[in-house]
Amino acid sequence: MSRRRVAVEEKEPGLDISSLIDVCFLLLIYFIVTSTIDAEERDVNMALPSSTPSSSDQAPIDSLTIELDGEGIVYIVADGLKEPLDTNPEEKGVPLLTQRLTLYKQAAVAAGDQPVVQMNIDGEVEQQRVLDCLNALAKLGIDRVTFTDLIN
Amino acid sequence: MDMSPMIDMVFLLLIFFIVNSNMVIVKMDKRVEVPVAADSLQQEDANGRIVVNVYEDGTLRDANANVEFEDDNALIDYIDKERQKMENFGYPPTLHLRGDRRSVFRHSRRVIRAAATARVDQVRFATYQTNKQYIR
Repeated sequence: MSRRRVAVEEKEPGLDISSLIDVCFLLLIYFIVTSTIDAEERDVNMALPSSTPSSSDQAPIDSLTIELDGEGIVYIVADGLKEPLDTNPEEKGVPLLTQRLTLYKQAAVAAGDQPVVQMNIDGEVEQQRVLDCLNALAKLGIDRVTFTDLIN
Repeated sequence: MDMSPMIDMVFLLLIFFIVNSNMVIVKMDKRVEVPVAADSLQQEDANGRIVVNVYEDGTLRDANANVEFEDDNALIDYIDKERQKMENFGYPPTLHLRGDRRSVFRHSRRVIRAAATARVDQVRFATYQTNKQYIR
């Protein structure tokens, strides 16, 4: 009886991927351990007066002055008169200020000018209240904002 | 036991974490509770940021919260040095002001004035978009 065996079965090349799986687990554990769920911080932008070039060939529209007192009350100053707008510091949306800024911006755009806002802020007002006003400006896309006490 | 679905899950989770992780370039000191501004913009370019933290009690510290600025000259020196460093790297220097929402504005104004003196005229106020962080 022939004991000739069938041709030796070809051994297919194999790939041992157990190390790869170990590395994958390690990477996964690393990312799980190091990741944290944090709220993302965002920006409210402002450019200081020196960076905004003044165009001499264009008569600028009268700037709007916003005043913020130590209690967080928002005023608009126009023609020497100080008019209180949002008197509740808890109201973050500053609706009356937003309304006035919208009208001012529309008038500026209709006149072919850029709206310019000056802010006169009491040093004792809370940071959050200042950001409420800056947020209203950012919402309307008014980016030419200056703080009056930075200009000498 | 067929391990292939488990390996597929591992790859999926790995890809999820790789894709969702962000390189945080701007350091955030959690002791500063930044204000909330619903219409704030996403941070686009974190390069060139000169971070100054303003704490609730008016203390001013640098990005790592190690150095406290006792007077305006120290603050101006720090901002000026950082400005030069950023300019050497080719980034436009920007003041990244992380003011605590309960601090009074005069402390932040000090920082903005110092930045103006040090010839940094772009200011970014750090804010959250919602107040979820503050609802416990």
